[in-house]
Amino acid sequence: MKTWTVARHVLFRIGQDPRTLILIVLTPLLFVLLYGYSFSSGRPTHLKVAVVNEDNGLASVRTAELGRITLTLSLGAKLVQSLDRELFDVVLHDKPNRIEDEVKAGKYWAGLVLPKSFSHALANEALRERGPQKTTYQGRSVELLPPETVEGPLATLYLDDSNPVVTSSVALSLYEALTRLVAEQQATPTLKDPLDVHALYGGQVSALDYTAPGVIGFAMTLITIMLTVISIVRERASGTLTRTLVAPVRPWEVSLGYTLAFALVSLLQLGELFLVSHLLFHIRFAGSPLLVLLIVFVYAIGLQGIATLLSTIARNEFQAMQFILVLLIPSIMISGVFWPIDAMPTNIRLLAWCSPLTYANSALREVMLRGRGISGVALELGVLAGFALLMLLLGVRSMRRQGYSA
Amino acid sequence: MSETEEVVRARGVKKSFKNRVALSGLDLSVRQGQLYGLVGPNGAGKTTLIRILCGLLRPDAGEAVVLGWRVPNFRIRSQIGYMPQEVALYPDLTVMQNLAFFAELYDLPREQLKERAEELLALVELSDRRGQRVGTLSGGMQRRASLAASLLHKPRLLFLDEPSVGVDPRLRHSLWEHFLKLAAQDVALVVTTHLMEEAARCHVVGFLNQGRLFAEGSPEQLLRKTGAASLEEAFTRLEEESKVRT
Repeated sequence: MKTWTVARHVLFRIGQDPRTLILIVLTPLLFVLLYGYSFSSGRPTHLKVAVVNEDNGLASVRTAELGRITLTLSLGAKLVQSLDRELFDVVLHDKPNRIEDEVKAGKYWAGLVLPKSFSHALANEALRERGPQKTTYQGRSVELLPPETVEGPLATLYLDDSNPVVTSSVALSLYEALTRLVAEQQATPTLKDPLDVHALYGGQVSALDYTAPGVIGFAMTLITIMLTVISIVRERASGTLTRTLVAPVRPWEVSLGYTLAFALVSLLQLGELFLVSHLLFHIRFAGSPLLVLLIVFVYAIGLQGIATLLSTIARNEFQAMQFILVLLIPSIMISGVFWPIDAMPTNIRLLAWCSPLTYANSALREVMLRGRGISGVALELGVLAGFALLMLLLGVRSMRRQGYSA
Repeated sequence: MSETEEVVRARGVKKSFKNRVALSGLDLSVRQGQLYGLVGPNGAGKTTLIRILCGLLRPDAGEAVVLGWRVPNFRIRSQIGYMPQEVALYPDLTVMQNLAFFAELYDLPREQLKERAEELLALVELSDRRGQRVGTLSGGMQRRASLAASLLHKPRLLFLDEPSVGVDPRLRHSLWEHFLKLAAQDVALVVTTHLMEEAARCHVVGFLNQGRLFAEGSPEQLLRKTGAASLEEAFTRLEEESKVRT
């Protein structure tokens, strides 16, 4: 039995390579830490929500003894106060007519507008649910009577439903807050449609639609980087890169040649990914395919740069593969592909904004899900272009260091 | 040959990798039409020197001037040829496809490529293998294809790093015949080898060890100077002498 000999030899060789050793120990740690931190609350947190509280706080209620009386309840303020502060970052807003546009623009996940008559409507709704109720009013015992007419929705909610996780969390939490408020009015909490919900995308965005742009972006990242790194490492090991760099070719020409080739390959892959996901899984595609191509092309150029850099650091294909894993797998966890970045802890969020996949994912999502035009993704495209340029320069520099320098 | 143009001039070239000294203040002069043999054991610094002269590495100190330009320099590239120790061809492409790619890098016109390639394939005796993938050729054939790729653009100065490793004796003989023919056409060749019978065919031989050129001259001069019967013996004697001196 030479099994042990072979096994010992393999372990010994791993032990000889400190880089591999570090990777073996650190990689799982990195994955589990990032995963844990990003998803730890089990639900999103810190979602930015705008609330317009126009409630005048007054409720006009029928009584058996005194006819109509006016109670000061300030239920709007109570509701705002009772909102889940872990889930929501509540921003008090005072322009109800601008809320919808700002939610559309992605400034808030949701906008809640409590009308002037919010307290009135809620109190009467509670009475209708519960039936007549005794209370004291100005020192007298009175019986409050249910309203004769049924009130409409209590409030209006503008909801960015491009992210199913967020949608359900927001809606559920608001519903709970309202229910609690009604319950405090001694009524059975069985509200029917208390909110007039304006879902921006008509509830058409599924979890698959939401994650598709990111997953497609990630698949591209992985394939492109692997292809590039491995072919450059192989060229270097076989000597063909040396032969090329001795010829009258500038390092940037070699670097750009690689970039161009693999960026074109990326576009082909992208077309394939989109075609299959669209035809087979009916992925939502609201925006311009050309804009998507542009985003991916710019992103792919940046990836080439990273790949060229990685190929300089990696001594062989094995190391290259490890770098790829360490760099890329965490990026899919933190880039908002599955979990909204808004819902991540601050330190992870900072990390997320350093990952180019975050911008690619965000831009693809804006175009595919929300149908945004180029101005809607200008920031993301700008960052991706800057990243591409920087990486291209670094890539050329490292290509120069692979051989010739002058 | 003293009035011919000096194509390589190195002065005090030093190069280290981390803690290992590869070249420690090396001087070298190669003239047009010269077949210069760099002779030394493995790790003597031969490949490092060639890589510096080709512009692939930058010396830490000293200077190297190749074809009139201080290297690294882009201008010399179309006039130098380099055959690395590795095969340095794409194994998944045919011999002809490899030649076509490198020819394009050297701006060889398409019409000329076929003619030039055929000429070179005949020289390295691979005419019947032009359509075969390089990866499926034998080791010796791969080396020959590699040499053909280095000669495509008719360089004025040719660096050959261990060109005859893995090449059978008969072909080795014909390669060296060709090297001498190139030299007769005023091409300068710098050839590294650790085989003394190859060194004996060079116009000038430089003995290299531990990053230093410790002796230089024609094979006859070296033999005469040391009174040795073979270059091997001359190498050993001169190396010992230089150790004593330092």
